[in-house]
Amino acid sequence: MLNENELLSTVEMLKYEHLDVRTVTLGINLFDCASHDLEVFKANLRKKITGLAGTLVSTCNAIGDKYGIEVVNKRISISPIGVVAAPFNAAQMVEIAITLNEIAVEVGVDFIGGFSALVEKGMANGDRALIEAIPEALTQTDRICASVNVGSTRAGINMDAVLLMAKAIKRGAALTADKDGLAVAKLCVFCNIPQDVPFMAGAYLGVGEADAVINVGVSGPGVVKRAIDRAIEAHPDIDLGEIAEIIKRTACKVTRVGELIGREVAETLDIPFGVVDLSLAPTPTVGDSVGEIFQSLGLISIGAPGSTAALAMLNDAVKKGGAFASSHVGGLSGAFIPVSEDLNIEEACRNGFLNIEKLEAMTCVCSVGLDMVAIPGETSEETIAGIIADEMAIGMINNKTTACRLIPVPGKTVGDNAHFGGLLGHATIIAVKNCEGENHFVRHGGRIPAPIHSLKN
Amino acid sequence: MSKIIITAIGKDRPGIVSSVAQVLFQLGCNIENVSQTILQSEFAGIYIVSTPDGTDFDAFSQAFHDAFNEKGLHIHIKPMDTEAPLTDIDGEHFIITTIGPDSRGLVYDISCIVAEAGVNIINLKAVFEGGNNPERNIMVYEVLVPDTLDRHLLSATLKEKAASLNLALTFQHKNIFDTVNRI
Repeated sequence: MLNENELLSTVEMLKYEHLDVRTVTLGINLFDCASHDLEVFKANLRKKITGLAGTLVSTCNAIGDKYGIEVVNKRISISPIGVVAAPFNAAQMVEIAITLNEIAVEVGVDFIGGFSALVEKGMANGDRALIEAIPEALTQTDRICASVNVGSTRAGINMDAVLLMAKAIKRGAALTADKDGLAVAKLCVFCNIPQDVPFMAGAYLGVGEADAVINVGVSGPGVVKRAIDRAIEAHPDIDLGEIAEIIKRTACKVTRVGELIGREVAETLDIPFGVVDLSLAPTPTVGDSVGEIFQSLGLISIGAPGSTAALAMLNDAVKKGGAFASSHVGGLSGAFIPVSEDLNIEEACRNGFLNIEKLEAMTCVCSVGLDMVAIPGETSEETIAGIIADEMAIGMINNKTTACRLIPVPGKTVGDNAHFGGLLGHATIIAVKNCEGENHFVRHGGRIPAPIHSLKN
Repeated sequence: MSKIIITAIGKDRPGIVSSVAQVLFQLGCNIENVSQTILQSEFAGIYIVSTPDGTDFDAFSQAFHDAFNEKGLHIHIKPMDTEAPLTDIDGEHFIITTIGPDSRGLVYDISCIVAEAGVNIINLKAVFEGGNNPERNIMVYEVLVPDTLDRHLLSATLKEKAASLNLALTFQHKNIFDTVNRI
């Protein structure tokens, strides 16, 4: 029999500390669906996705029930549509998004991710059509996520694509002005996008992946916070090395839960198991916050001086714990700081502890980037492009993933509140320098060359 | 070779195990299996021992009691039915926990439902977490759920009962606990 501590700590994690499997994401390769005929292509999509994902939701629910752990989201990631639907124009791309949305409803998944393009070095016809289609596609659907990789350490930053994405963000927000620009909350611009992310909005199935694969995203900021609280309560003079060790061990436990569930889902569906992505991904719920961890660590608020160091320690300890627990850790694996999705981080923005510059600094050491940041609706395309370029540069130079999910909320300005609903939460709009101004730097276009350390071969 | 089961119960103190083992050694027995536990201040041990060929049970029992001189320890000896078939049920281990205020008949209420479903309780533990919160008594049952049983029905019945007793009940496969805690 397990001992009391083992039993109780596990029950506490699951019942009171919001440990859950945030997502089981079924990756589906769509290359064998390709066709020049749109109707044939759409029929192929439907056949392949419903064939593989028909029992995904019921399987996840049954396995979640067996272990007493909720699989909160069931999702699908697909091959980048910019590649598999390369022959089609933007209007046809929108039709494809609508078909994918219908398929998502049919199989009961929350989201399909992979309305994506990889354009870090240049844009092919399909990529250009996809980017053009993104605003309309995300407006006419509610279960489709888009991502575009505009930079990488090996290729540099495609500044033409950066500007196009800034335009897409402005247009997507404008098309959903009545919902505070909700469309672009489903759009991520990436540098160094991983091929196996199970989390939205960045999930897509890389071209080097198998025909179908199960990737799992586990969260658990509440579990990490409680572990730190308990340790500090028991030993108030505990040092940061010891706290990092506690975070690491906790992350290890959490990852093992994901591995157990993922492997069983994969086995039941007879699909290979891919990776566990252990990311501290908050939800807008008290006790399920990354921001609260900073207060447990002794900071007055996330954003106060010391926050970047605290986040660096947290992110690293999470990765180390995850790497020990599973032989296949992938995706983003680290700590997310999405503003609107975390009550505490949102509050820090509202109270002035966090501004966009501090957020950007923190993204140097977090696992993603400027995530779910609401900015004034009048922010110019060029300024948005500048913010994206800065964030991409951090990823490119530091050989890590960075991303931008910015929402220029139409008709609203600094201090106003934007509501996105559900897991996307709400956010106070924060100030952006040179908000409406021009930016000739981004207008130069072309490609920022890859850094010297990309020359590794 | 025959086997005998000896149980010993009494106030815990140093020397209980050695005194039992000493007598068994003197009588030429081999301890095959033993399990012991301490509940609050009470010791309980159960020993399965093999006796020398030709041992007469009554004579052995008398000899054990004659030789055993620990006061305050209740000893019960019985022959083991080695012919009884082992019940080998195909099933999986689940852990049931109930968390909430203690009440009379709490274990009875839960174990009745488990028994009526034909499910064997492998292990049962009462955990009283901290003295300051009487609302957080925790009972832990490890059960073997046969593959042929409708687990969802059992789980639903248990949860319904638990709700009526103001308890939070979890019903989870044991692997989740093993996975989280053991590498």
